[in-house]
Amino acid sequence: MAFFLETLFGGLMAGMLYALVALGFVLIFKASGVFNFAQGAMVLFAALAMARFSEWIPQWTGLDNKIIANVLAFIVAGLFMLAFAYLVERWVLRHLVNQEGVTLLMATLGITYFLDGLGQTIFGSAVYRIDIGMPKEPVFVMDTVFEGGLLVSKEDLIAALVAACLVMCLSLFFQKTPTGRALRAVADDHQAAQSIGIPLNRMWVIVWFVAGLTALVAGMIWGSKIGVQFSLTTVALKALPVIILGGLTSVPGAIIGGLIIGVGEKLSEIYLGPMIGGGIELWFAYVLALVFLLFRPQGLFGEKIIDRV
Amino acid sequence: MNATQHSPTMTQKKIGDVILDVKNISLSFGGVKALTDISFNVKEHEIRAIIGPNGAGKSSMLNCINGVYKPQEGSITFRGQTFRHMNSHQVAVMGVARTFQNLALFKGMSVLDNIMSGRNLKIKSNLFMQALRIGPAQREEFEHRAFVEQIIDFLEIQPYRKTPVGQLPYGLQKRVDLGRALAMEPQVLLLDEPMAGMNVEEKQDMCRFVLDVNDEFGTTIVLIEHDMGVVMDISDRVVVLDYGKKIGDGIPHEVRNNPEVIKAYLGTSH
Repeated sequence: MAFFLETLFGGLMAGMLYALVALGFVLIFKASGVFNFAQGAMVLFAALAMARFSEWIPQWTGLDNKIIANVLAFIVAGLFMLAFAYLVERWVLRHLVNQEGVTLLMATLGITYFLDGLGQTIFGSAVYRIDIGMPKEPVFVMDTVFEGGLLVSKEDLIAALVAACLVMCLSLFFQKTPTGRALRAVADDHQAAQSIGIPLNRMWVIVWFVAGLTALVAGMIWGSKIGVQFSLTTVALKALPVIILGGLTSVPGAIIGGLIIGVGEKLSEIYLGPMIGGGIELWFAYVLALVFLLFRPQGLFGEKIIDRV
Repeated sequence: MNATQHSPTMTQKKIGDVILDVKNISLSFGGVKALTDISFNVKEHEIRAIIGPNGAGKSSMLNCINGVYKPQEGSITFRGQTFRHMNSHQVAVMGVARTFQNLALFKGMSVLDNIMSGRNLKIKSNLFMQALRIGPAQREEFEHRAFVEQIIDFLEIQPYRKTPVGQLPYGLQKRVDLGRALAMEPQVLLLDEPMAGMNVEEKQDMCRFVLDVNDEFGTTIVLIEHDMGVVMDISDRVVVLDYGKKIGDGIPHEVRNNPEVIKAYLGTSH
């Protein structure tokens, strides 16, 4: 039982991080109808900015407080994401209003390559470290309930809490503030939103910026776990099955989808793995996504698309 | 209260100066001419109808005023300012609201949120104040909410406040659409077939709302309508379009007896 719970916790924590990346996709898709292929590149770019500035700022200013340096680096990286959101709207989205989804997808593919190149040109292409003082050693919890207690990675636990916090703030922002309401309005109907004076351009900047911030937080957490390197972009690949599961248009869907995939791959690795020789964790998410595409293509919470003939 | 009781007030109503002046508008899509050389004006506080058979260009006309379409020729003057073509956002800022022929409500949102979103331009607090829920932002939200409640009372949709609009029957959705436009406190309200697809009772209700809005708030109304009976009852002046051309303009009685209009609506024997 204790072992099962341990696996479950591990899965939930990993799932929270998948959810964080998936959230970036969902936000942009909802507000602008763009499937943003560049989300992975945004994660890498943000993480690179964060890693390098947390290294440069102490060098430039002689500051030796790690916390302040990290906070400053986070703010600077956030500003980079704001500039990025503004430029994407100014140079790309504005010129592609009312174009086909495929056109927009291709445009984001272009942004992906551009951003990958730009990030590595400015910040360098080696493997960098983000040291935000995450505790690396695992801890035992609930040792009164189970013999020996449960082994939980403190780093994962903190990461999951940060992710959960961010998700909660975002959903409050979307549900409870006038700007959030305007964003939901844009997501539902562009033309009607324009007719009541909601400025589409500004909304796009806001939503790309928010997606940029989730990319930054995701990049920071993954970066501190596995180092900031090009392979971070593949983290975004894991987010694809998550959004297929949760539905492309649903914020709660992204979270629950992330948790299901996180838990599913850990449990199946442990309990099904031995039967078929292991390695399930690598492909479990994609097979699950395939099953969903066959039987419930709109995902768990997505909108069912009904075409009138 | 119903439409007929209202008509006597029409003559006493104060109609002001020209607020919207449309001059020589031509619009074409590729080779298809949607509008040819259309001119008409709208006076403050009046109810101005645009009628015509299917495909006459009524909606195109409204979309030009609203800035969704950019006409190739002509100009539009709104409160003394002349524009080559309008821009959707700018039009909303200047105080023109609209409703849609095929409902364009925010389907995932509740009735309340839909109408609240109409207050968007009136919101002064910035993003950070909203996010942190600082005093002024919160107080402002309450004020907007109070205003929206008045609209909800006015349109008699109190029981549906929290219902997602997608689940409401068509007639009520049309009311929410009107409510969202009213939340902007518009000077000019453009209504694109507000009574299309409604039953008699719903039509009467909608007529009553349109007249009340005009009466109580002095809102200028430009409406497109198919139903001749309704139009003749509630509007002050009528423009008639056919195949993108203007074939009649005047008070309902004149228009009704205009031979060209009769021809367009009933067809002629050749």
